[in-house]
Amino acid sequence: MLLSIKALEKRYGGARALAGANIDVAAGSVHGLLGENGAGKSTLIKTLSGLVTPDAGEILIDGKPVTIESVRHAEELGFRFIHQELSLVPHFTAVENAFVGRAYPKRGPFIDRAAMARAIAETARDIAPDLPLDVPAARLTTGQKQLVEIIRALIGEPARLVVMDEPTASLSDGEARRLHKAVRRLAERGVAVIFISHRLDEVMEICDRYTVLRNGATAGAGDISYIDRPGLVRLMSGREEAELIARPTPGGSPVALKVSDLPFGDHGSRIAFEIKAGEILGLYGLVGAGRTSLMKIVWGATSHREGTITLEGRALRPGHIGDRIAAGGAYVPEDRRHEGLIVSRTIAENLAIANLKAVRVAPSLPWVGLAALKRRAEEVKSALSVKMSSAFAKPLTLSGGNQQKLLFGRWFGRPIRLLILDEPTRGVDVGAKAEIHAVARRFADEGAAVLMTTSDMDELLALANRVLVLAGGEVTAELTGPSLTPARIIDAAFQHQSRKDPAA
Amino acid sequence: MTGFVRRFGTLAALVIIIIAFSIASPGAFGSPSNLINITQQMTLLAIVAIGATVVMAVGEFDLSTASIVSFGGILVVFLFKVGVPAPIACLAVLAAAAVFGAVSGFVVSRFEVLSFIATLAVGTIIGGITFWLCEGATLFGNIPAEFRDIGRGTMLGLPTLTWWLIGVAACAWIILDKVEIGRRLYAIGGNREAARLAGVRIVPNTMFAFIVSAVLSALVGILLTARIGSANPTGGGGYLLSAYAAVFLGMTAFREGEANVPGTLVGAAIIAVIGNGLTILGVSTFLQDIITGTIILAAVLVRRAGKQGA
Repeated sequence: MLLSIKALEKRYGGARALAGANIDVAAGSVHGLLGENGAGKSTLIKTLSGLVTPDAGEILIDGKPVTIESVRHAEELGFRFIHQELSLVPHFTAVENAFVGRAYPKRGPFIDRAAMARAIAETARDIAPDLPLDVPAARLTTGQKQLVEIIRALIGEPARLVVMDEPTASLSDGEARRLHKAVRRLAERGVAVIFISHRLDEVMEICDRYTVLRNGATAGAGDISYIDRPGLVRLMSGREEAELIARPTPGGSPVALKVSDLPFGDHGSRIAFEIKAGEILGLYGLVGAGRTSLMKIVWGATSHREGTITLEGRALRPGHIGDRIAAGGAYVPEDRRHEGLIVSRTIAENLAIANLKAVRVAPSLPWVGLAALKRRAEEVKSALSVKMSSAFAKPLTLSGGNQQKLLFGRWFGRPIRLLILDEPTRGVDVGAKAEIHAVARRFADEGAAVLMTTSDMDELLALANRVLVLAGGEVTAELTGPSLTPARIIDAAFQHQSRKDPAA
Repeated sequence: MTGFVRRFGTLAALVIIIIAFSIASPGAFGSPSNLINITQQMTLLAIVAIGATVVMAVGEFDLSTASIVSFGGILVVFLFKVGVPAPIACLAVLAAAAVFGAVSGFVVSRFEVLSFIATLAVGTIIGGITFWLCEGATLFGNIPAEFRDIGRGTMLGLPTLTWWLIGVAACAWIILDKVEIGRRLYAIGGNREAARLAGVRIVPNTMFAFIVSAVLSALVGILLTARIGSANPTGGGGYLLSAYAAVFLGMTAFREGEANVPGTLVGAAIIAVIGNGLTILGVSTFLQDIITGTIILAAVLVRRAGKQGA
């Protein structure tokens, strides 16, 4: 076995990212690594690349235990990683990109460009014969960039293991097929490939073996020819008998948010849905299904050309966040550090920024009162039980859960009619998670329509009255009541609709 | 203790520099009249720097300030020449500068152009207009005496220019630290996307910051002309770098890494004190520049070291 991972564990604070992950990868094989969002795939890969040190467990290479100390060390071991966000220099050609960070062939003191081109042409002939090598990366398609990354992985010290993280997520079917061929040729050269994908059909097609992770542990592994698609879905969701709390949609309440004919995803599809006052609508979809961009359109952070959004009968103009706020909207973004907190300002100011009128010294004077800022912070602190030392400390002195509460608290103190939650408890420990769930429910109970997206299946089941599942730019299921089960959700999320290849 | 050094270290440095010069030259530098004179000498630089502080609060740069200083001086004399009364001429100059500031702010915020590039371009345009107005010559004559009084003489025992500085600094401090718009400006500078998602309107607020900077630069052009009685199309050239030096020095004071009005005043005072003190000691201007630059570099490095140690 080229690579064996045994009982790997990793904790982040209170959260267990890996809890007994095993995987065996043979040279010359393509190994599918599967699991729903947050199952531990990324952490597992990071331990291989030297970015994360596991707390327990073993990594064996050719049967000998190793400790991967650094990114450099992983590279020396022959591990190569191709990430979803490609890291090519846009105005470099394929040849130039392939040598970034590698040893350049030299003639005297100068870089030998001819030798570079020869080396790449040789590799490219083998892997991707029709890839243009002399075009700047900016002009290549995403699929071609992936091929450049593969070639790049083979330059320099010999590669033994190539890890590909959802390489086909944004490719058309034709491009994906070209990539599949390249992956197979890679394996034929004796390289082991770990292939992470959410497209089960392609996993069935190109992988030799599979490993399914669930909650940080290996839920199943084996030969791909001995399992079918429903079998993989079962392994991934693993909660068919999960306890279900019936959370019926409130009956008599009126429709609050109405979204119609809204463009969604990159493929010209449209979406329409309604949320009643007091209802929590969950959006579920795999990473890249377009959930966040949909939330941003509803919030007015991104404009849209077609379709309408109304809140309690009032039309919300595209791209006008102010309209939403005036109509009683609130938004908790996905990325706390970059979209939520203003880390250079105090906690009190972070809580006041969306409603500065509330901290005036006198109602008609736009003068910000320190006492009013403090009073507001204290109100939020007790209402949401935020643990903080001082209202005028910086937000990053708080724990992740308390930081997240600040983002809720920002909207506190006026009637909320629409609450948009994007991954409301990411990176938050279990206790704070429950408290945040209670806060979200309280907003709903007070009559807000809640639109929530989360990658956390348990959170979805705990909060949502109704779930829309998104895949490949479409709504693939609307689930409520007894049909709201993990297996149904996962199955709909993996229903990848084949897209038309523009080149075909 | 480290927190105290971090907040008040730059202020302490200013005091130490003043004490050092007072010891080196007790009669000339340390005399009350010279210290008051320094507040007058630092006024024009400090007002430009306060404008730069407001723009830095939203996380941008305004490189057109020096051009606007020159433009303001030339335009006001140009208007006198064609017979416009002094108060109206001054208001017209400030209004014209506001338009330039609005253009810079709009381009930067609406189209997300780097402010470095946008204001460099706007500054170049303003430079062209300035030379066109004066045909490349220094303008003098036709300057009313009562206009000249706004930049010279004394009031209630302090130089008139010092009063301008006190007024501008107080207004800017209120704008940035006391009223709502200041919270919005700092929120944008701290995290533009977070501020936007929380409902802060980026375009009008950013435009406001650039308008303040442009108007203050034009005011300096007017005051400079009033003080020296003529206007030169390159008269503002020296203000850009020293104004930003003052802001950067000020960012090391009072608040962690944020442009702030009290800090900028300390920064401008350090630059003015060093200039004044070295001149009194008879040090050549070339050496003065070298020393000033070294002190700025040292201040920033000391601060970085303090930050990493913390």
